[in-house]
Amino acid sequence: MTLNRRRFLGTGAAATGLIGLSGLPLRAQNRVLNVTAYGGVWEQAIRDCFVAPFEAKTGATATVSLGGPAQWLAQVEANPENPPLDVLIMTPDLAVLAAEGDLMDDFTVEKLPNLAKIPQEFTDACLGKGTYFDYGVGGITYNTQVVAEPPRSFAAFVDRVAAGEFIASVPSISYGPTTIFFLWALNNALGGDVNNVDPFFAAMEKMKGNLVYWAGPNDFFNHLASGEADLGIYFDGRTWNHVDEGVDWIDFLNPEEGGAMTAVAIQKPKNASDLAWDYLNEVLDAGNQAKFAEILNYGVTNTEVVYSEKLAARVTPLAEANLPPYAEIARVRNDWVDRWNREIGM
Amino acid sequence: MRLTDLLLWAFTVAFFTFMILPIVVVVVISFTEAGYAAFPIPGWSLKWFARIFEYEPFMDSLQVSLLLAVTATVASCLLGIPAALYLSRARSGWATAITTFLLSPLSMPMIVIGFASLFFLSWLGFGLSFTALCIVHTVICLPYVIRTVTAVYRSVPPAYEEAALILGASRITTFREVTLPLIRPGIAAGCLFSFLTSFDNLPVSYFFGSAQTNTLPVVMLAYMEHQFDPSIAALSTLQLGMAVIALLVADRLYGIEKMTVAT
Repeated sequence: MTLNRRRFLGTGAAATGLIGLSGLPLRAQNRVLNVTAYGGVWEQAIRDCFVAPFEAKTGATATVSLGGPAQWLAQVEANPENPPLDVLIMTPDLAVLAAEGDLMDDFTVEKLPNLAKIPQEFTDACLGKGTYFDYGVGGITYNTQVVAEPPRSFAAFVDRVAAGEFIASVPSISYGPTTIFFLWALNNALGGDVNNVDPFFAAMEKMKGNLVYWAGPNDFFNHLASGEADLGIYFDGRTWNHVDEGVDWIDFLNPEEGGAMTAVAIQKPKNASDLAWDYLNEVLDAGNQAKFAEILNYGVTNTEVVYSEKLAARVTPLAEANLPPYAEIARVRNDWVDRWNREIGM
Repeated sequence: MRLTDLLLWAFTVAFFTFMILPIVVVVVISFTEAGYAAFPIPGWSLKWFARIFEYEPFMDSLQVSLLLAVTATVASCLLGIPAALYLSRARSGWATAITTFLLSPLSMPMIVIGFASLFFLSWLGFGLSFTALCIVHTVICLPYVIRTVTAVYRSVPPAYEEAALILGASRITTFREVTLPLIRPGIAAGCLFSFLTSFDNLPVSYFFGSAQTNTLPVVMLAYMEHQFDPSIAALSTLQLGMAVIALLVADRLYGIEKMTVAT
């Protein structure tokens, strides 16, 4: 048999097709749902609290993909007709972008009976194409061994750090949620709004000699552990996780003005498996959410959830947190980042 | 000892201390008994090494990373060695242009390659598959093989191969008996760089991560973002140990200095 050009091209095309087919996601082959989770304790909690009841009720299987929202959204954008993921965990700002891009399905009580128990404002914040199921609050975390009387408000935090009483560890702009739980929250507390962030930048100018910046949450803990900083802006749930790991010198307080609610959204891409609705309903179930909250030390959104005594003392109530206007922030976020880079640079 | 020698000696010690101390701290932290990463450590324990083997995604992704690194290295050699041999001896302007093109992944931000490849390979129907991951990793490993093989092959006088051909050896025999032994240091160095580049890669693998195709760096990043325990330090210590053992074996079997000649 001679190998002419046509035969060579034909064989190559067939081989490419076969290789390509072998790469199809598992979902296309049977009742397998591809869901998402952050790593570590998050992944285990997703498996125990949501995947296990979903599999028990439906008889289907769920695989858990570890990673982050930007990665997952890019993967769905690249394959909108056949999304490789059926359920996405998203940051609120990306959830808005995904909804505005018409990449996600609408959430309704008909499809998700448990959605009725989630405050409507959380579904509205995702433009009706998703909802929040878990939240933390950004506030003041401090080293109790060096800070006997912590500042009780954002305003006091700014004044006392500016006066040199404390060295504060604050998030840098390279950390995604910084614009929400730090920039917007502090600006809001100091009288600014989405269209006027001058109060925030004026406060940063006052404090700049006494600030260190963290690029990731682990940096913040290292700043406090090494004595590089005395206190800083951090999350409630992460603080309690450190306490549970044996760190007995750390504490958290929600500032009087109210910290920013940093929520975790959940969405279903268009053209994803309909099995996703069963899984999502488990995610929004009160019993499953209560179990999830116990593992992660974060608040959850189903209004029927009853926290344990220990967790009730830790979770910042929804009424004491501020829900940032994520959609509005998404429109001005690039301007904020640009100004941060010019004026602060970290 | 003269003052200049003393200063040079002090500078060398300070330099190596600055380079090595952070690694030593990570290694020490991996043996802590505490549930969080802090230095100095309160007590010694091996529990974070046990955690590596308990946490399934670490072991699953390690298998994916090893298989991927080997596959991408083999594919890079199969494509890169013939290309390097031809381009080393070619004199046309096209050869320079093609060489530059094949080496271009070295100068492209990895995150751009990853993002663009995700959309391109999805459009071709490969989706989030191991095949797609292999293709992209081969693209980023290829320059290392081409670069090292080219560097060695250009230093080999063409007269060696011409002599073999004049004496009656076929092209295949000449390649097997003359060319291959001479370019072996370049191939070995290219394989080493390819393997390490693929094994450590995060920005490209990140975009192709799924439950079946997550690599170790992707899982480590996902773990670090939401977990504070020292198991990542233990994993880093283990990787460091594996790299040191691999280098010692390579040195014993082949000689590191021969590989470094190729670069």
